[in-house]
Amino acid sequence: MDKIKLRQICFIFAVMIPLTKTIVYPATLVYQTRNDLILAALGNFLIEGIVLGLILFLASRTTCTFFDLLQNTFGKIGAKIVYAIFALFFALSAVLPMMEQKNFVIQELYENVPSVISFAPFFGLCFFACTKGFKSIGRVADISMPIFAFSFTAILLLAIPHADFTALLPFGATGAQNIFNGCLHSFNWYTDCLYMLFFLGHFQYEKGAAGKIIGSYTIGALAVLLFLAIFYGIYSDIAVLQHNTIAQIPKYTTANTSLGRIDLLFIFALTLVMIFTYCIPVQMCVHCIRKVFDDCSPILPSAIINLLLLVLTIFFNYSFVEIQSLYTQKLWILFAVFGYGIPLLSLLLRRNKNTPQTEDKHE
Amino acid sequence: MLPADDVLVYRFRTQDEIDCAAIYADGITDKELLGQLVAKPLSLAKAPTTVEDAQKLLYFPETKIATDPNMACAEILAGNPALLIGKIADAIVLGTKKISVRAVMEPQTSITVKGPREGFIEDVKTNMSLIRRRLKTPSLRFDTVEVGRESKTFVAIAYLDNIADHSIIKEIKQRILAADIDGIPDSSYIGKFLAKKPYSLFKQIGTTEKPDILCAKMLEGRVAILVDGSPIALTLPYILAEDFQSSQDYFVSPYRATISRLLRLMAVIISLFLPAFYVAAELFRLQLLPFGLLMTISSGVKDLPLSPSLELFFLLIVLEVLVEASVRMPKYVALALSVIGALVLGDTAVKAGLVSSSAIIIVALSGISAYTVPDLTGTLSVIRLAYVVVAGSIGTYGILLFTALIVYYLVSSDSYGTPLLAPFSPLIKKDLRDSIYKSDIYSLNTRPAVLRGKNKTRLKVHNKKIAEETESAQ
Amino acid sequence: MNKYWTRIFIAIAIFLLLLFFSNDFGLIDIQKTAVIAAIGIDSAEQENLLDVTIQIAVPDQGGNGKASNLTIRNAKSVNEAITELNRKTGWYPSLVHCKILLLGKKITENNVFDVLNFFLRSEFIDDSCLIAVCETRAEDALHATSPIGELTALAITKVLSSEAQKTGAVSVMNLRDFAKGYYAANTSSYLPIVSVKQEAQSESGSPNNGSSQSAFLPCSIGLNPNNADTYSLVDSEPVPCGNFWSFWNKLFPLKRNPLPICAPCSQQADAASQKGSQNTPNSDIFEASKTMLFYQGKQAAILETDETLAFNLADTSTDYAYGMVDVIQDGKPVTYCLKMKISKKEQKLKVSGNSAILNFHIRANAQVADSDSAQGVIDIAQTARVPEHVLHAAEEKFKKELDAVMQKCADCNSDIFGIILKLYRFYPSRFNDLQENLLQNVKTSYDIQFDTLR
Repeated sequence: MDKIKLRQICFIFAVMIPLTKTIVYPATLVYQTRNDLILAALGNFLIEGIVLGLILFLASRTTCTFFDLLQNTFGKIGAKIVYAIFALFFALSAVLPMMEQKNFVIQELYENVPSVISFAPFFGLCFFACTKGFKSIGRVADISMPIFAFSFTAILLLAIPHADFTALLPFGATGAQNIFNGCLHSFNWYTDCLYMLFFLGHFQYEKGAAGKIIGSYTIGALAVLLFLAIFYGIYSDIAVLQHNTIAQIPKYTTANTSLGRIDLLFIFALTLVMIFTYCIPVQMCVHCIRKVFDDCSPILPSAIINLLLLVLTIFFNYSFVEIQSLYTQKLWILFAVFGYGIPLLSLLLRRNKNTPQTEDKHE
Repeated sequence: MLPADDVLVYRFRTQDEIDCAAIYADGITDKELLGQLVAKPLSLAKAPTTVEDAQKLLYFPETKIATDPNMACAEILAGNPALLIGKIADAIVLGTKKISVRAVMEPQTSITVKGPREGFIEDVKTNMSLIRRRLKTPSLRFDTVEVGRESKTFVAIAYLDNIADHSIIKEIKQRILAADIDGIPDSSYIGKFLAKKPYSLFKQIGTTEKPDILCAKMLEGRVAILVDGSPIALTLPYILAEDFQSSQDYFVSPYRATISRLLRLMAVIISLFLPAFYVAAELFRLQLLPFGLLMTISSGVKDLPLSPSLELFFLLIVLEVLVEASVRMPKYVALALSVIGALVLGDTAVKAGLVSSSAIIIVALSGISAYTVPDLTGTLSVIRLAYVVVAGSIGTYGILLFTALIVYYLVSSDSYGTPLLAPFSPLIKKDLRDSIYKSDIYSLNTRPAVLRGKNKTRLKVHNKKIAEETESAQ
Repeated sequence: MNKYWTRIFIAIAIFLLLLFFSNDFGLIDIQKTAVIAAIGIDSAEQENLLDVTIQIAVPDQGGNGKASNLTIRNAKSVNEAITELNRKTGWYPSLVHCKILLLGKKITENNVFDVLNFFLRSEFIDDSCLIAVCETRAEDALHATSPIGELTALAITKVLSSEAQKTGAVSVMNLRDFAKGYYAANTSSYLPIVSVKQEAQSESGSPNNGSSQSAFLPCSIGLNPNNADTYSLVDSEPVPCGNFWSFWNKLFPLKRNPLPICAPCSQQADAASQKGSQNTPNSDIFEASKTMLFYQGKQAAILETDETLAFNLADTSTDYAYGMVDVIQDGKPVTYCLKMKISKKEQKLKVSGNSAILNFHIRANAQVADSDSAQGVIDIAQTARVPEHVLHAAEEKFKKELDAVMQKCADCNSDIFGIILKLYRFYPSRFNDLQENLLQNVKTSYDIQFDTLR
């Protein structure tokens, strides 16, 4: 069975997922909420945290996988249908992050605008990652932890001296409506709790596991909130201009030194972690497809999904703003339903048929 | 059956004129021993009537009865003569093998400033004795097998019975026995059969030429494979971190050892990434270079015929050529060729405007850095070339993607159930104490958890107490 | 790895090698790149057009950057000028190492963001680059010959470095902060004014507009005692330091009892000056002790050097500064030179009733660096101690200068202390009532205390 360790899940929530919120998200949030971005982000974290907590409650009550739970309730066909829908959802939810990453790469890692050929190899890597299953997600999280901890801290330390935190004042001045809208329109960045649903039964629930995972999630959330505060403190009224935020904030300390943009090394290290993170939804998608087709070989689904994403990325190459608007303004309902609604409903699934756990010593 | 010219027959008679013959392979049999301990006592006594009587008559500790002529032939060819006496049907095989072996000396590939200097040699029996001398325990086991249809190479699987994981030993034996090959010239052949991913760019089996290192690894729970004719012993399971450890790390203070390991890691990172980032910076991201350095590099690369990527690629190939040549060239021309290599290819190439001096510095630094971890040098040089190609094609993002690919590959690889990247991925906190940093000897009181040995304890706690008491008394 | 994967990897490797050796899919390497070190923007003779001067760093054989200036005249926009550069030279312009943007003075008469637009939009130039206004034309400043290195941009960057900011000599500004000020509610900001002083002038003794006298000869710049504010090059290295000293002499002029320049130093200065002039004929030095205030993107007022120092001491990241204080001691005028280390600085806006009060809370430690009257050996031994009356005089002088700055801000509506922002951030409920004419109506209180060793 494709196993993942509790520690690795913690690392995913603490160090990998926060990075997805450090590219376009801060500027998008500022567009809606101005200096109240922290409040809106806090709201999102709370909602996602509650859903995560409920999924962990479910994990404490069953050793079944999500598929088993669905199978117990709706039968195998029903479970397959739900997984097929989730496969589509994961593929859909991967599109905007891919494009975010593509723009980030093209703008931050290149000076001369390269062709899409520079980004395309990502899908080759993602294809390889998709053939590896949850075990590779977990082990990559182990590798990512020190890289993130060191680089992210370094970037924040480089940025903090330039931040004026009074720019975040007055709290709530943008109004509850704007903050609420900011929160609502950011749902696409806050559906990572869903991964936990699919990790059910793939990790050994032990005493205090929920606390550990929620604790890690909180660490990740605090890292993002601190990041957002520093970001707004640095840019305040021109924050909305700043895309690729993670690469922007540390440069003021290093730009005029004789060592030059030494912060780029940390940015590259975080980009590496980001690459791992952006593979996760696609890996989840492949996991769902494999379940639908009775644990088939991952090669074909991986190839198809990655090819599809490559085509979509090329097709929407010049439509990032439209895609972003679509995801944030229109599709928030979809993200709310899949990210929060279905995990909540999964609490109602039948848990009576427990499947035995097999322990793998080195996940 | 034995038509070879070097197989000779020594005929003699007993006191009662019964014919005896010793069939032996010339050159690998100790003829003096044969004469003194076999022919002399037989010629002075009456002919024995049974094999058992004959064995009693010989002044010889190592005899074997060969009922099968094929077995007798094999023994003769291995250097052990077969003795035929009168009308006795069976042959007596005598252990008088005498093979010229070189002396036990310090291996060229792992020289230490402090620590034991003995190294394995080509004779497996000597190698076994070197291990036995260090591990005087009944738990030390040598399971022997013969591999090679023609070579009949002697292979010993060494392990500590009370520590090693027996499932690994079983699998190793199965894989070795499954190899139906004509000959085994070296242990690396056995290594190929033991590797689960034979196409892998990365090492999957540990190697060492030093008995002290091998014994330390066996004490950690690893299994060793010794092959006759090869001074290189194989160890399994293998983890990547072990190549960053040096035997010297255990003979110096933990601080020094930690610094050395960090330096090795840094050197490997420099070796892999420096040429690639140099290319990527020049082609795709000038901002990576500080302004002053950019000016220096720009002045160097001005009017060069090659693009930065091709320049680096070319220089790396030159470096590999130099390494290959220096390994193989006769010592007496080495000096002359080194001068040519350094001056003509280095200095003159810069002066001639073929390459830039900054590129030469980068390649030299990268090349030297790779040798801080000698066991990985081969792998590093291939990956380094790949990195330069990727950096020259796709730039910094290419470097990152390639790194991610390597990480995915490594995290999903294991060596006999032991993850290759352990103890970092999966993270095994206890094992970190002897990985990138090295704790003091008291902290290393358990065997590496990743190896899943039976007996976990290496050092009993009361030793630490004594040490602490001594320290406090002082 | 099975054969399937091997084949895939071989295919990828062949593809990469193809890319690698063809080496032609839009990348532009270092050999074809023009590394732009500075951009100067001036108004063209024709209205609404720009003269854009681009300084390209060209490496010489020693690996140093040599300035190569190119002026594109009558460009409609900065982008057009940079495209023109590409067209004219064939070199691909790289802006990532552009460390400074210089604006001609005339440009500041209109909204400078008309031209800075390009830099805010471009991902290929960092908004960490410095920005300054030139006293005349940016083109002239970039064409000046630097005594430091050969790259004028670097010389100006050093004058505007964060080290210079720490000594209070210059009000350093980068593009991000300037834009932040413009797009904030107070639409106010400031820029340092860079002026070019020709070394030739100092040697010929031509008059300058300063009035200082040199008592201190720092290592880099010597001042001609007979000719106020004229400079001679001694050493090319620490220009920020020299700039600071010159500025400081301006701020606290020695009106009485000018200290004679010590002979060896003077000789050294002269000798080096001659040497310097031999090596780099007609070299220029840069000064940025004045500050231009902006309101709604247009120039609003200019802070003189003393006001700039006061502003820096009160508001920016200036840590320490030197200042001259005149006092009457034993019936005789004495000038003290104090070294001040700012230990705390804070501005607080309080709203009481219908009025806003801005309080400057500043604490500094001072010590005597020098004085123009001979003192007893015990006094010199206790040089770190500043007499009480000298400290008071210094506090008063500081308050006076700050008052002058506040008055200029009120007159031109430029809120460089961020009073409007403070009102919005800390008293949002009173913002609408008080924001109108806030700068004119705000009262100022000072809690400035200079301390010394006891």
